[in-house]
Amino acid sequence: MSSKVRIFTTPGCGYCSQAKQFLTEKGVEFEAFDVSSDKDAMQEMRKMTGGARSVPVIAVCDKVLIGFDRTELENALKCLE
Amino acid sequence: MVVYTIEGCPFCEKAKLFLKEKGVRFKEIPAPFGSSEWKQMKEKTGSSSWPQILIGDSTVGGYLDLVSMEATGELYERLNIEGRMLDTPLYDVIILGAGPAGLSAAIYTIRKVLKTLIISKDLGGQVTWTSDVENYLGFSHVNASDLVARFEDHVKAFGVEKIIGVEVESVDLAGKIKKVYTDDGRSFLGKTLIVATGGRHRPMNVFGERELVGRGVSYCSTCDAPLYEGSAVAVIGGGNSAMEAVLDLMSLASRIFVVSTTPLTADPIYQGKVKKSPKVEFFLEYEPSKVIGDTVVEGLEIRSLKTGEVCTLEVEGIFVEIGIMPNSSIFIDTLATNSTGEILVDSECRTGVAGVFACGDVTTVRYKQVVVAVGEGAKAALSAYNYLINQR
Ligand SMILES: Cc1cc2nc3c(=O)[nH]c(=O)nc-3n(C[C@H](O)[C@H](O)[C@H](O)COP(=O)(O)OP(=O)(O)OC[C@H]3O[C@@H](n4cnc5c(N)ncnc54)[C@H](O)[C@@H]3O)c2cc1C
Repeated sequence: MSSKVRIFTTPGCGYCSQAKQFLTEKGVEFEAFDVSSDKDAMQEMRKMTGGARSVPVIAVCDKVLIGFDRTELENALKCLE
Repeated sequence: MVVYTIEGCPFCEKAKLFLKEKGVRFKEIPAPFGSSEWKQMKEKTGSSSWPQILIGDSTVGGYLDLVSMEATGELYERLNIEGRMLDTPLYDVIILGAGPAGLSAAIYTIRKVLKTLIISKDLGGQVTWTSDVENYLGFSHVNASDLVARFEDHVKAFGVEKIIGVEVESVDLAGKIKKVYTDDGRSFLGKTLIVATGGRHRPMNVFGERELVGRGVSYCSTCDAPLYEGSAVAVIGGGNSAMEAVLDLMSLASRIFVVSTTPLTADPIYQGKVKKSPKVEFFLEYEPSKVIGDTVVEGLEIRSLKTGEVCTLEVEGIFVEIGIMPNSSIFIDTLATNSTGEILVDSECRTGVAGVFACGDVTTVRYKQVVVAVGEGAKAALSAYNYLINQR
């Protein structure tokens, strides 16, 4: 069973680290994928977003967010409550 | 704070509403004509009309006096002295922006024991957009996110109060007390403001760019370069940031087209590294004219500035590195800016509006660098401190 929150990142991406820190602070469990080394994750991320090439991509329940926007992510996380 | 009122008095209602809106706690004392409360009101204020407003034993006057006292900031000063009756706390300093400039300012204001609040959309600012920093004193090489983590630890150690993840939507700089309004509907009061809102990427402003952001158009090469392994890409710009983007892409992309409206302006150390690679092809004195693609980037149309000739580069990625625009739009009506929108400051980070200081990349100060922003932040904080002591 995969986690309800998945985040696709690259090592040089500041917003990815901030997004992960935000989830940790909120006590949300998540699974992180480094798409620079994990090609399957890269394929999946691109399929999920219809071809996006930008990180972070955050999948929460059935929503897919491109980029890290605190308010948007906070709203999306409501499905976990 | 006490408000003497009587039923059916429109200015009493206005005064009560006004205080509620400003978050000021008060006690209402109904004082019908001839009552003991009315006599008490007359004795204390020397006036027999409603409403009468008092802070402790000193009289404010009626509704209009209240409004003008609020506008000059005197109201909050008197309330603060009279035992913090304010629901909204009054900060000595509110710092807008938590990049290097804002965080450095916070260290200085906290050490001067000023009640400080930082409000920012994110922490670290532009430093989070790059991978490594090699020119910050004390670090011959530091990973940018490690540097941001150190900045964060430093302000944490001093217990700086901060609100991260909200955007400042507007400010009111007219009165002595400055007001800051954020996109989550809150408002904050400060005796001084330090503007450290930095910059954001300058877009190309061409057809198709905006629609394809994140779908081939990128403003962060360190973030997105790994997603272009084996692809042809364009890098727009001829300065240091553009050359850094080329270097980020060098080992991954199959071809890199550098498009710049001017000859390269990057430092020789960067130019040397970039020019060595057979993958890189230069289109200098060309401008981007159109991004091609429906759902993802498929190409970039460019035009020669010399001949007008138009050609298309078949690329999947476009990395835009043509400089930074100041985040000053919320101050456009209140603070003086130059033609590019940078806030004008003097050598002490003063903006021309009393009690409002600015520092870092949002200002006219030359050389947009971490070390410069950090220095300017310290200066702005010390100037705010001096301003506050002179007010006492
Ligand atoms: C790709 C790249 C590489 C770089 N490399 C280097 C380097 O190697 N060495 C070096 O010295 N410098 C480098 N720089 C420059 C350096 O990052 C900047 O000069 C520095 O970050 C400026 O700091 P600042 O605090 O003034 O602004 P910023 O870093 O831009 O921070 C501004 C802050 O204000 C916040 N903000 C803006 N508007 C609002 C609003 N309305 N409401 C709330 N918050 C707001 C932002 O979210 C941000 O946190 C680089 C810049 C880039 C883009």
